[in-house]
Amino acid sequence: MSARRIVLTSGKGGVGKTTTTANLGAALAKSGKRVVLVDADIGLRNLDLVLGVEKRIVFDLVEVVEGRCQLRQALIKDKRLENLSILPAAQTRDKTAISELQMAEVIQQLAALCDYVLIDCPAGIEHGFRNAIAGAAEAIVVTTPEVSAIRDADRVIGKLQERGLPVRLIINRIRPEMVRSGDMLGVDDVTEILSAELLGIVPDDEEVIDTTNRGEPIALIAESRLGAIYAKIARRLEGELVPFTVLGAPSFFERLFRKAG
Amino acid sequence: MSSVRGRGRNLEIAVDRALGAAAEELRTQFAGRPDFYRGSRAVANLGLLEPPAVELAAFRDALAEFGIVLDGVCGGESVAEIAAEVDLAYLGLAQVAEVSAMPRKRQQREVRLSDEARSLVADFAGARADMVRRRVSGPAGAATVVAAAGVAIPLQPRPVPAGVATLYHRGTLRGGQALHNLGNLVVVGDVNPGAELVASGDIVVFGALRGVAHAGAQGDRNARVIALELAPTQLRIATVIATSGADRTKRGPEHASIVDDRIVVVPFAEAELKRESHA
Amino acid sequence: MINQVVQDEVPVAGDLPRVRGRAIVVTSGKGGVGKTTTTANLGTALAALGASVVLVDADVGLRNLDIVLGLEARVRHHVLDVLEGLVTLDDALVTDKRVPKLRLLAAAQTREKDDVDTVAFRDLIGTLRDRFDYVLIDCPAGIEKGFVNAIAGADEAIVVCTPEVAAVRDADRVVGLLGDDRKVELIVNRLRPALVRKGKMLSVEDVNDILHLPLLGVIADAPDVIVSTNRGQPVALDPASEVGESYRAIARRITGQDRAAPEVPREKTFFGKLFGGRS
Repeated sequence: MSARRIVLTSGKGGVGKTTTTANLGAALAKSGKRVVLVDADIGLRNLDLVLGVEKRIVFDLVEVVEGRCQLRQALIKDKRLENLSILPAAQTRDKTAISELQMAEVIQQLAALCDYVLIDCPAGIEHGFRNAIAGAAEAIVVTTPEVSAIRDADRVIGKLQERGLPVRLIINRIRPEMVRSGDMLGVDDVTEILSAELLGIVPDDEEVIDTTNRGEPIALIAESRLGAIYAKIARRLEGELVPFTVLGAPSFFERLFRKAG
Repeated sequence: MSSVRGRGRNLEIAVDRALGAAAEELRTQFAGRPDFYRGSRAVANLGLLEPPAVELAAFRDALAEFGIVLDGVCGGESVAEIAAEVDLAYLGLAQVAEVSAMPRKRQQREVRLSDEARSLVADFAGARADMVRRRVSGPAGAATVVAAAGVAIPLQPRPVPAGVATLYHRGTLRGGQALHNLGNLVVVGDVNPGAELVASGDIVVFGALRGVAHAGAQGDRNARVIALELAPTQLRIATVIATSGADRTKRGPEHASIVDDRIVVVPFAEAELKRESHA
Repeated sequence: MINQVVQDEVPVAGDLPRVRGRAIVVTSGKGGVGKTTTTANLGTALAALGASVVLVDADVGLRNLDIVLGLEARVRHHVLDVLEGLVTLDDALVTDKRVPKLRLLAAAQTREKDDVDTVAFRDLIGTLRDRFDYVLIDCPAGIEKGFVNAIAGADEAIVVCTPEVAAVRDADRVVGLLGDDRKVELIVNRLRPALVRKGKMLSVEDVNDILHLPLLGVIADAPDVIVSTNRGQPVALDPASEVGESYRAIARRITGQDRAAPEVPREKTFFGKLFGGRS
């Protein structure tokens, strides 16, 4: 039984791909799934930092591809969640160190070991992006409700659809008060422009910066608002129909931000 | 193409052509640095080959030219007799390639490293494979390396060969940069997180060491790491790994070495370096 | 820093040869830290000081500089059209009516970064330096070909970094790749003094403890920036915006009009929030 292989991408950098990969992975693992996270950002690796496993890296993706170690030797098990592992990227190499075919092979091997392979894609649409999508069968596009991010997401969705990958959307860092005042696009605006299936809506949260710096994904913090949201996204990914939570008074229309979750 | 891989302190030579041609190939490979492997012990993986005893003896002699002692061979059952004739240990069937589903053509794919870097990294990778194995199985098997077919070959620390230089680098190493050296490494400047230092000897950082440092990377457990500020992401000496704790207080110059199978860090003033007679 | 001589486009008889313009690439490594916003606002502020400025969007395929400037509708041709000889440079340069001395050279949206020839791009930057006092190049995220193209032809760099561990790591990598021949300076963006005080965000010192770069400026996090980029109105045009003032101060430092050390934004007191600027 082979795992689901999902790439998390965005086009624009800094919208929260890595944070989303880490937290969604943690939420899935918490619910009992076996999850492997793959950092495809060779040379600018960050997934290990966000998960707090940076100090335990001995081997990396490039060394697996080059045959210098076994795949299992490179996988780092999370100490908090036994179902969660990560395959880190190399830091002293660059994205041309591996080819799309090699990447696809590694992802196939991983798929035999778990239920979900989540691939954290680098920013942009260059070689690193092509490598990251090479092994994937599905895609999640992460965007913020800002014009530049949406433009880039649109470009990326086009490329993903060219490859025949089904695409779902996570809108990250939404600020309800700014949507209300008309200073930020609302969920409906975004989904209308991008016309992709909505998987989740994550509000902006000050705590995320600190948890990222400390290497503790917020999804692991019990009773955090964002943790609950990632848990719902995980359930939706599994196929459950989970309604989006209603935020704000329902008497406002037009550009009111009506959903979160 | 035949390949030479470091496995801890020893070599595994995988042969995929007639031994005579393999010997020639290895001669060419080693020609640039004939002393590189001097003192190593090796095991040859013959795959499906069934060479005449004379060829096997000649192969062993060829390796001896470079100071490599061939201890044993792996291969099919018929190899057992051939090995006995020339006084080599027969180590059973060859171990299947590790990253199992990878197609063979990957071995021929070009790795973007210079020849020197490739061999250094191969050795270091061998040392790290030991570390991972040790972490999994515990420190009990610390001093032994499992050879290709499960026969243990004792680890022998090897002094750094004569003529090997200490690499001196002045300037800060930034994330993504690496210095590898056969010998000692001295950096005057910081080593930022994401940077990597690998040396077969000692490592000295006259600045803040915040990246990864691997001293004694070919197995020298007597190697040291010394820094004005020792705050590495990860510290490795020979086959032992340690990470620094979350404590961020600055403590002044420190010295790290292996004591009783663990990495121990002491303030530099307390390190008993003056008691040693020579490196 | 050299005091830049700003000259009219119309040559005067017997005048001195033009001082060549400065080419500065705005880069970061990590995406989303504010490169494009910084390029747009610095360019606007420099032009407002009287310098002739051209902004070049090097993010082929994912262009955003024109959107942030509010010039998207006026873009007819882009960099690749110029490099491929389909149009002249003058045809491609977009004028900003609000800021007469500012021009934009947009990126192509439907092409790839691989389509850009690095040498040709570098020569284009050279041509632009002959015509403008400042050439600011908006670099794409990452360290792939797009980055390599963007830095070709620029002998100065501004690294934009937010006070987060991941951003600092990526910035460090980029600084290492920029090499020693370029002048490199730092802008710390999106600082939140209250979080720094609570220990939940890195301070400017923490950031520069790793990066070791001369500090060009520090910009506080403020919601009016998102609004302005969505609307295509750079905050540097808004006299009431604090972030706009930060960019204007950085522009004065770049031209050498202001030599004082950059101010680090301080936490707003209750009264400060009531009666202070908009952010």
